[in-house]
Amino acid sequence: MSRPLVSMNGLERHYHMASGTVRALDGIDLDISEGERIILLGPSGSGKTTLLNCISALDSPTAGAYSFDGSPVPREDSEEMTSFRRENIGYVFQFFNLLQDLTVLENITLIQELAGGRDEARARQLLELVGLSDEVDRFPAEISGGQQQRVAIARSLAKKPRLLLGDELTGNLDSTTSAMVMEVLVKACQTEGITCVFVTHDESLVEYSTRVVRLDSGKIVSDDPIG
Amino acid sequence: MLFAVVSMVAVGLFAGISFGTYANSVHNLYDNIYADDEEGTNLADVWVENTASTWDGEIADSLCSEIAQNWPDPELPLVSCEPRVILDGLMFHSEEGDEKLVPAVWHGIDEGWIDKVWMPEHECCSGRLAAADDEIVLDEHAASGMGIEVGDIVSIGAGHGSMDFTVVGIGYHPFHLYYALEGSILPAEPGTFATGYLSDSGIERLANLSAGSANLLLLDVEGTPEFDLQSTDTVEGESLSQAISYVRQTVMDADDSSFTAYDRSGVDSVELLRADAEGASMSYPIITGMIAMVAGITIFLSLQRLIQSQAREIAILRTLGIPRSAIMPGFILAPVAIGLIGSAIGIILGTAFGGPAMVAMYEEIIGIPAIGFSTEPSLILQNLGIAMVVVLIAGIKPAYEASTIQPLDILRGQNEVRLSSRGIQRLTSRLPTTVGLTVRSSVRKPMRLVFTFFAVGLSMLIFGTMSMMMDSMDNLVTGANQNWDAQVNVPFGGEGEVIEWAEENGADFESMLVFPGNAEGDTRQFLAYGLDVISTGDDAMIPIDLSEGQLPTLGANTPNVLVDEGTMLFLEWEVGQKQTVMFGPFSLEVEISGVTSGEISRTIYFHRSDLSDAIGLETTSVLLTLPEGIELDDEIGEMSVGITQRQDLIDSFESLLEQQQGIYNAILGLGILIAVAVLSITLLMNLSERDSELATLRVLGAPISRIRMMILGEHFAIGLIGGILSAAFTIVMAQYLISQLVQWAFYFSLQPNFASTLQLILIVVVISVLSTPIGTSRVSKMDLVEKVKDLSQ
Repeated sequence: MSRPLVSMNGLERHYHMASGTVRALDGIDLDISEGERIILLGPSGSGKTTLLNCISALDSPTAGAYSFDGSPVPREDSEEMTSFRRENIGYVFQFFNLLQDLTVLENITLIQELAGGRDEARARQLLELVGLSDEVDRFPAEISGGQQQRVAIARSLAKKPRLLLGDELTGNLDSTTSAMVMEVLVKACQTEGITCVFVTHDESLVEYSTRVVRLDSGKIVSDDPIG
Repeated sequence: MLFAVVSMVAVGLFAGISFGTYANSVHNLYDNIYADDEEGTNLADVWVENTASTWDGEIADSLCSEIAQNWPDPELPLVSCEPRVILDGLMFHSEEGDEKLVPAVWHGIDEGWIDKVWMPEHECCSGRLAAADDEIVLDEHAASGMGIEVGDIVSIGAGHGSMDFTVVGIGYHPFHLYYALEGSILPAEPGTFATGYLSDSGIERLANLSAGSANLLLLDVEGTPEFDLQSTDTVEGESLSQAISYVRQTVMDADDSSFTAYDRSGVDSVELLRADAEGASMSYPIITGMIAMVAGITIFLSLQRLIQSQAREIAILRTLGIPRSAIMPGFILAPVAIGLIGSAIGIILGTAFGGPAMVAMYEEIIGIPAIGFSTEPSLILQNLGIAMVVVLIAGIKPAYEASTIQPLDILRGQNEVRLSSRGIQRLTSRLPTTVGLTVRSSVRKPMRLVFTFFAVGLSMLIFGTMSMMMDSMDNLVTGANQNWDAQVNVPFGGEGEVIEWAEENGADFESMLVFPGNAEGDTRQFLAYGLDVISTGDDAMIPIDLSEGQLPTLGANTPNVLVDEGTMLFLEWEVGQKQTVMFGPFSLEVEISGVTSGEISRTIYFHRSDLSDAIGLETTSVLLTLPEGIELDDEIGEMSVGITQRQDLIDSFESLLEQQQGIYNAILGLGILIAVAVLSITLLMNLSERDSELATLRVLGAPISRIRMMILGEHFAIGLIGGILSAAFTIVMAQYLISQLVQWAFYFSLQPNFASTLQLILIVVVISVLSTPIGTSRVSKMDLVEKVKDLSQ
């Protein structure tokens, strides 16, 4: 069996609040293989976003082991954590978070430049992949929410990440647009060979995944493959 | 930030009260010292000056009688006419074994009802007036500068050898309250200029004159009539002007001597004090207003920042049904509180320290006691009013914006959605995206930037004007390009001895003829300089800075002249025109061949022979360039009626700079501090508005080094644009301010040099760039987990 891309053992994340310690993650064991599309489901406060933050090295686990492609993920030095994200992770936000002063194309080339190398041809190719080749010179404010989210997807793929993360990425879209965005996302990930992990409340998105992990009170309560 | 804004208001009030106290004090001083009462000096209202010789006693008395006989205006009655003698000369001062020739002016005072010697009951002054022919009252400026006291013997001369006089008093004279050498606008360095007030018999002995001789008639009319200001086109004192015309005609009919008649605006020392008082009165509300305006802009920006950071809370309050009327007062109250606290601090500091310090500086520089000055309540109220109006205006818009926040827009994040400028995108589309983003971020809020640059421009103006004025004046005052060491004034026909002395001592020399004149139909006086060498190069002792036209041709049918730019401006003359100028009773048509710049006093340059032909005199001064090791001695002192040494002018300017160094540094620091506060607030606001943008980039893996470069680039761009605009604003405004302050008696134009301009730009760039670490520290300390929550919720 091939080595998992993400491997977590007994992962814990505690927050110390005035009211006491909150165990946001409480002993997570999770392996993610390359090519999987995982959906994290669960009620509010179940630990989905915390888990996503730990996977992306935005947050540091309190305890437990976490390795990515066999190597431990940095959890102390913020610049090493940033480098890890830059080299391995793509991220799509609920509110798209495109830079308003940049055009659709420039939003993608900016990330390429920050990651080390501008590649306009690939940026255009990604926009074509998400169906936005006619909108390259528009500003974010000039296109619809669904189109903005597709730009955000193209942006997240710009530096060829190995793992794409999304937090409620369709939470700000209507159901028709959500479906269109998810279809684009699945197609793009399959084309690019990228592993995906999405957090959502929306059970209808299960159809776009290969595996569903349910959390409650910081623990995995079910982990089921789809199809 | 709160501290910065309160401080700025406090500084505005402090400056306003300090300058206001200064302005009121010098105004009161000007009025009181020259007043026609027991305490004042009863400044003459009209002076009639014989410019070429002296009248004997009989003629002087008859001129006074003639003037009084048909005095034209019964509503402006003539009280008295007093003949006097005023002479240029020297004091032979011995200091620590060294003999020094100090240029001097000696007054012979007979009745002494007009232009009285001022000896107030103050530690400055002591003794009594001179009565015997070997007694002298020495001016306090000179006495303190040379360490002379009542009872000391001084050796003085006026072209007829040296004589000893006993100092019987120390006081001031209305002609010399502003203590400067003739033709200079700088207070003389202590020990480089002397004036003394002798009895009529004393000056007659000194200058070998017959009894009753005079070269000056002082006319006193009842009260203090309005007089015509030389710098305006309107006639402010019509009655006095008509009286002067009558006096001029009467003297011309009665005597052939070359003379000039003028009112107090023709006396440089009096006019400089008046202009200083007027300038201070004009400028202190402007200074208060400017600093208050900068404070207002800072308050405006700070409140916007506050609203920006509290937008979510305000939106929630509005969602919960809190009315606009409940939100607005809080944001109005903030500037009111800031204004009141800042004002209170400014008033206390200004009254206790600023005002007294400014008056003390005036006393130090001008050298006269400011007796009985105070900070008037009306001044405090006026400054408080200006400051509160400005801060209130600054608070209204942000308060209105806060009360009209649309809750849904804020809660949905719609307030962050905006359409960027397509024009700027096109301009920067070929640049790397990071650079393009930097440029676009810099100009994202143009109105805020305009306000910021305006405020930075104002703060730079405060000290930029001073620094540029100092630079411009340096050349003018010290005559850095001139090639003479001493100007030896000689009695008429006395140049031969001086030239002989120069030849014996191997000194280069050039004869010069200097004579006062005026344009036909205009009473304002200029000095005509007759030079042997008129050149723009180093072959001339006084090189000409020709700004327009060409050098005059020698011996032309209509004498060619060069006219200084101040005279050209005030008289509205043009190059190529023929104009008639008057030298007492003589008129002369001249052709203006060119314009010169760099003269503080009004000046017309002639070839000496052309001027000499017109007025019948050959030489009034000899310019000397002394070889190494040769110094002026008593021999040349005794043959001259006054010596001006260029080194003294340079020392005076350096001394003035030294005296003002403290206030100069304070103003410099103030300007920089205000610029720091304003720029920091704007840059911080720009950054905080980009929080989500920068957080997104960080989450997506942008290294802090790249973000640091982006912020640095943005701050550099803003600093550079702001610096260039501030420098341009400073130059334009400083030139405007100076054009409002120049007078006939002293004119100069601002010549911004490259170094000063670059300094201004660099200061703004450095301030802007130095705030980069604040920005990068903010980004590196960003809690990305919290930010992601914001971005995802």
